[in-house]
Amino acid sequence: MASPIRILTAVPICDGHDSAINTINLEFIRHGIEVVYLGYHRSVGDIVRAAIQEDVRAIGISSYNGGHIEFFAEVIALLRKRGANDIKVFGGGGGTITHQDAAAMKRKGVDNIFFAGTSLAQMTDYVRKHYGKPRKRSRPRSPDQELPQKLTEIEDAYAAGRKHRARKAQSKIRSPQGVHPSRRAIRNTRVVGFTGPGGAGKTTLIDELVLRFLNQSPQGRIAILSHDPSVIGEGALLGDRATMINSQNDRVFMRSMATRGEAGGLSPATQDCLALLARSGFDYVIIETVGTGQEAMPFQKTGLVDQTVLVMNPDYGSRLQLQKIVMLDLADIVVVNKSDLQRARTAHTEIEQRLEQNRRDQRLIDTVAKRHRDAGVDELFKLISGGSK
Amino acid sequence: MSKLGQVVGSIENYNKFVLDQVKRARTDRQFGRELLGRWNDTKAKIPVTRTPTGVPLPRLALPEIDDPGEIARYLFAEGLPGEFPFLNGAYREMYLEPIREVESFEKNGEPPQRSSRQPLPQAEEPTRLFSGLMLAEDTNERFHYLTRHQRTHRLSTAFDGPTLYGIDSDADGVFGKIGEGGVAIDTVEDMVRLYDGFDLGSPNFSASMTISGPAPVIMAMYIAAAKRRFGTKVIPKLRGTIQADIFKEVQAQNETIFPIEASLRFLTDMVEFTTQEMPRWYPISISGYHIGEAGSTPVQQAAYTLSNGFAYAEMFAARGIPVDQFGPRLSFFLDCGLDAEYIALARVSRRIWAIGMRDVFGAGPRAQLFKLHTQTSGRSLIAAEFKNNLTRTAAELVLAYMNATNSCHSNSADEPFTTPSEEWIRLAAHGQAILLEESGIFKHTMNMLSGSPGMKAVERAVEAAILDEFREIERLGGVLAAVEDRYQRSQIQNAAHRYEQQIYNGTRPIIGLNRYRDGDNDIPEVKLARTPRKKQQLQVDRLAKFKKKNADKAKRALDKLADVVERGENCFPVLLETAEVCSLGQITGRLQEIVGRFRPMV
Repeated sequence: MASPIRILTAVPICDGHDSAINTINLEFIRHGIEVVYLGYHRSVGDIVRAAIQEDVRAIGISSYNGGHIEFFAEVIALLRKRGANDIKVFGGGGGTITHQDAAAMKRKGVDNIFFAGTSLAQMTDYVRKHYGKPRKRSRPRSPDQELPQKLTEIEDAYAAGRKHRARKAQSKIRSPQGVHPSRRAIRNTRVVGFTGPGGAGKTTLIDELVLRFLNQSPQGRIAILSHDPSVIGEGALLGDRATMINSQNDRVFMRSMATRGEAGGLSPATQDCLALLARSGFDYVIIETVGTGQEAMPFQKTGLVDQTVLVMNPDYGSRLQLQKIVMLDLADIVVVNKSDLQRARTAHTEIEQRLEQNRRDQRLIDTVAKRHRDAGVDELFKLISGGSK
Repeated sequence: MSKLGQVVGSIENYNKFVLDQVKRARTDRQFGRELLGRWNDTKAKIPVTRTPTGVPLPRLALPEIDDPGEIARYLFAEGLPGEFPFLNGAYREMYLEPIREVESFEKNGEPPQRSSRQPLPQAEEPTRLFSGLMLAEDTNERFHYLTRHQRTHRLSTAFDGPTLYGIDSDADGVFGKIGEGGVAIDTVEDMVRLYDGFDLGSPNFSASMTISGPAPVIMAMYIAAAKRRFGTKVIPKLRGTIQADIFKEVQAQNETIFPIEASLRFLTDMVEFTTQEMPRWYPISISGYHIGEAGSTPVQQAAYTLSNGFAYAEMFAARGIPVDQFGPRLSFFLDCGLDAEYIALARVSRRIWAIGMRDVFGAGPRAQLFKLHTQTSGRSLIAAEFKNNLTRTAAELVLAYMNATNSCHSNSADEPFTTPSEEWIRLAAHGQAILLEESGIFKHTMNMLSGSPGMKAVERAVEAAILDEFREIERLGGVLAAVEDRYQRSQIQNAAHRYEQQIYNGTRPIIGLNRYRDGDNDIPEVKLARTPRKKQQLQVDRLAKFKKKNADKAKRALDKLADVVERGENCFPVLLETAEVCSLGQITGRLQEIVGRFRPMV
């Protein structure tokens, strides 16, 4: 089976009109398309960077605040500058984009503009028809392009049921700096796994850690492999980027993966993608699972994760429930996020007792990730950046 | 329990109180006689006016009832216009034209000779037209054009995207957005140009600024601009409104730049300052418009707007600002579309606000008023056969004025595809004048269209549904907790999705789009108001000059501001100094370093 079509959608900078795109996203995923949603108020640079990293087939831009002729043109110009001519651009803006505008935009390389009155079905059909066939493309011009394309090859190979080809794909790659990955590079990359139930705040926490990392290491580079759930052959909304404000940075490589039917919080291709990232010269590779259940132990198989962090919400239910959470035995660090909630103190005490049974010197940290400069997140960052393998 | 839970209780109690009064009026003869006496007295005092065709009409229409129970129900449940709980209007006469001939109903004799030389005292026009385009001087020119026939100058200002997001015009990737959809404001110098030629301290002038994320900074720039032109003594005389509604931004409009709690703190700093130093200023416009435009149902719009309002009131009171000081400075802004709920949405909102403010917050009469600005629905307008938008807007205007809105903006028919052009703006403004001045619907008689059985049915249904929403928000821990939980956002998104589906499957008829569609329905090629590149470049150049000129002063001012913010003091007074020498983007950038950036919700 072929991989689902992957596209990226976004709303331009200084534009918060996300009503239309929210509806369109839902329609796309209902029809088997994987949508990396970047959110609203996004700059040209953010959009192009994300599109290349995610190696999408096309970018859909929903613009309602004017300036669309310039904005779309800048997106296309930057894609070309980065050698990503194979990533197409389409969009719409209700009645704000006139036919004249659309004609001008098409001349500058936009594939199509949807006008007011276009049905959702017409848009979905368009995307499937134009971006559904395999694309021919020339050799990647830079390591920044090569890595995402290799990740796509791995994902595609798994979708087609060809594991060995996936392995082959990930074995031939230069690191993003252009040097061949050496054992040294592998050793210097620290892989940190984040898991926990949905809504615990994993994405926000990771984004806050990224901010601290970028500030601490002015030359450092970090990769994030993030997961969202999907059923085989169906679409997925890959929306983590939309709430990440610090990870839109040239020193951050992020890839969003749909689980494509795999249980346990990761995708069938995760292992190989992770292995590739771990050899690609990053200081850190962060892997984030989908929101998981009590029985999940997503990092057991990979064998590549140096440190595991379980992020919990104070509202896990009764103390008895804690006994059932397998990751509490396995995680190196347990974070109680949203520790400003009323129940957080109780949660801290109960989880502390639970961890003591293990006698493994696991660490327990309280955070409020949504708070700027939160001391708990500072502490977590120290533990991760200072800890040894 | 948050105050919102208490508000629900206060409305329930008040409704019980009304029923008790009805019962008492029927059983307690003394009380019944008093009510009947008061009723007859009120009716006798109602002045009479004449229509241009000579028909005498009372200035206030009341139901024809003489049962003390029904009189009690009317007086307590609805109230006369201008009387608690203000269902029929915040003020006694709203947009009635001056009396033509004063006489009582009883003696219906010859009309007295009127001295024709005496001009009629005129009330102020409720018409407001939202505008903003290109650079400050272009918007200024538009303002002068719009107000040339107006007795009072009430300017309503739209800002461009970069300004709304607190970004400077020289920021990366925003060039094409400069002056699009609103006016570009980077510095106090732009602000001076924007209102040039208007007398900012005059009672006949007010400025409304539709901006929320960076509102305190823009407010500071406005004050700084006024000071430059008229000196410090103008500050207490400034009149106007700044939107500054953070909750609705997070719930619907997505123009938030600081984390919610920091945004609320800066807002409260500003409110504390303006309610003390600028007693005629409205430092917040609690807005449902954008909630409605983002796709909410009418009930959601009213429920979230009111609950946001009560949450702000709770916050300002917690800062120690007396309710009778901030209460009269709160204003509201609702959307008016074509759904049946709009027949009474604002009426019900006015009543809930008054009861909640009086009974939960202890507000005096002036602080109980739900002062409302309405805008017709932009979302209801479509590009296909766009001239139909005139009819849509006209119908919405009737609904808005039936709800006795205090002021109103009517959308231009060309809005679905462009910043309105002068031709369609003029028609939109004329639409209001035709309704209020030409037609006899609203100028002779208060309550002309109020109180029909259908309207009452809508009132009951809408009130019950709003209270249900309040209960749900309360259950989630109050407004702030519900916002952080994305409750309102998800409800609005869900409603928006349903609305779109209804359009696509035809269960929501949109004439010219999914019904009576006539062949090729392309967008007309109208003359578009786009900002020329030359102007965009001019804005960038001006900003560069300003930054260069003030480089040293700006650094010191920003350090001082940062210091006050870090210490947790009210930063607004210092912000006034900062706004003199720093650009919008410099200020928001520095503030974000301290309090962080807003993390979008999806």
